[in-house]
Amino acid sequence: MISATEPARSTASTVETVLEARGLVREYGPVVAVDGIDLTLTRGEFLTIFGPNGAGKSSLLRMLGGAMRPTRGTVAIGGTPLDFSDGEWRRRVGMLSHQGFLYPQLTAEENLRFYGRLFALDDVAVRARRRLERVGLADRATFAVHKLSHGMRQRLALARALLHDPDLVLLDEPFTGLDPAAAGVLRGVLQELRSERRTVVMVTHNLGEGLALSTRVAIQVRGRLAWEGARAQVDETGFERFYHSIVDGRT
Amino acid sequence: MRQVGVIVWKDLLLELRTRERIAAMGAFAVLAGVLFNFSTDTSLVRPQDIAAGLIWMTLVFDGLLGVGRTFHIESEDGAMQGLLMSPAPKDAIFLGKAISNFALLYAVALLVLGVFMLFFGLRIGSSPLALLLALALGSLGFVALGTLFAAVSSGTRLGETVLPILVFPLLVPMVIYGAGATGRLLAGRPVAEVAGNLRMLAAFALVALGAGAALFRFVVED
Repeated sequence: MISATEPARSTASTVETVLEARGLVREYGPVVAVDGIDLTLTRGEFLTIFGPNGAGKSSLLRMLGGAMRPTRGTVAIGGTPLDFSDGEWRRRVGMLSHQGFLYPQLTAEENLRFYGRLFALDDVAVRARRRLERVGLADRATFAVHKLSHGMRQRLALARALLHDPDLVLLDEPFTGLDPAAAGVLRGVLQELRSERRTVVMVTHNLGEGLALSTRVAIQVRGRLAWEGARAQVDETGFERFYHSIVDGRT
Repeated sequence: MRQVGVIVWKDLLLELRTRERIAAMGAFAVLAGVLFNFSTDTSLVRPQDIAAGLIWMTLVFDGLLGVGRTFHIESEDGAMQGLLMSPAPKDAIFLGKAISNFALLYAVALLVLGVFMLFFGLRIGSSPLALLLALALGSLGFVALGTLFAAVSSGTRLGETVLPILVFPLLVPMVIYGAGATGRLLAGRPVAEVAGNLRMLAAFALVALGAGAALFRFVVED
C-alpha cells in the first residue's frame, strides 16, 4: 500500500546516522528552490528522490554534498556539521552530478589519478585501476576523456565519485542518456554500493531504476518532500499513478 | 603543498597537450613586436626610450589573453566543482593555478623581451639577471591578480570581457615600477639604481599573492 500521509521514517538510536539535514532552505532571489527539508539517513540506506523538473532536487543534493551553501538550515555528516573550509568533511562525500567534473584532454586514468592526489589518497595508481575495472573501463584507461562515449564518461565520473570510498554517495540523474549496456553497468555498481552498506541519495526521473535500487523513496514537489516512505511500502505497479497524484496535487 | 603541485602538474600537462594558450600568447607577442616596430618613427624617438613601456604593455595584454582563460579548462565538464568539492584548501587551488599561470606568462615574457630586442635593436644591458628578475616579479604579481579576477569574471555573464576593466587599475604600480626598472637596465644603468623598483615589484607580487590566496574562497564558493 502507498500512503501519502506516511510520516518520515524515524531513525533508531542504535544505528549509525550518516547524514542529518535540518530545515534546509535554498533561495535564488525571490525563488525558493528548497523549502525547509529535514532528512536523516543511516548507514546502508539508499534514498531515491523523485520529482518533476524545478522541484529543487539538484539544489537539495548540492547542499547535502557541500557544493552549495544553504540559505538557511544545517547539514551534518557523521555528526560533523558542514564546514566549507574542512577538507576532512569532504573526504566523506562523493558526488555524481549532471557534469562529470572531468578534464576532457586528460586520459581516464589521469583524471582518476589527479583526483586521487587531490584527496591525498595512498596507492593512487592501484586505486585508479581498480575503479576503472569496476566500471568496465580498464581497456579505456589511456583514452582521452573527449574520445569516450557519453555512457563511458558517466561511468568514469562514477569511478571518480567513488575513488575515495566516501560514506555518503550523492547521485544526480545518473541514468540520463545512458544506453542499456551502460545503464546495466551503472546499476551493477549501485547494487554493489548497497551491498557495501554505503549511504546513497539518488535524484532521478526514472521511476523504475529508482525503485529497483532504493530502501527509501521520497517525492519532492516545489522544494518540499511531499511524500516519503520505505521502499517496502511502495507498490511498484501503482507507483507511477501515485507519483503523478502527488506531483499534480491531487492528494 | 602537495595539492598545489598536483594542480600545477594538471594545468601544465593540459597546456602541453592543447597548446591553446601558449600558442595564442606567443603569436600575440610576436605580432605586437612587429606592429610596434612599424608604428614607431625611429627618426623622431629612440627605440630604447619607449621599448620598456611597450614591453610591459605587451606583457599585460598578453597576460590577459592567457590568464583570462585559466578557468576555461575547468568549465568544460564542471571540473571546477570537482576541485571545490575535494579536500584541497581553496588557497592551494589558487596557488596551483597562479603558479601554472606564472610558468606560462614568464615563458611568454622572455619571448616578448627577445622579440623587442630583435625588432628594436636593444641590448640586454650589463645586468641581465636583474632584468630577468624584474620580469619574473612583474609576471608573478600579474598572475596573482589575474588568477583571482579570472575567477571573478568566469562567474559573470560578461566573462573575459570584464577582466581588463577589473585588473587594469590594479596593475598601474606594477607597470610603473616594472617599466622603470626595465628601461634603466636596458640603458645599461647599474642594478643599484633599480633596487627600489625591484623591491616594490617584489612587495606588489607578495601582496597580490597573499590577497589572492585569502580572497579566492570568497570568489569561488557558492
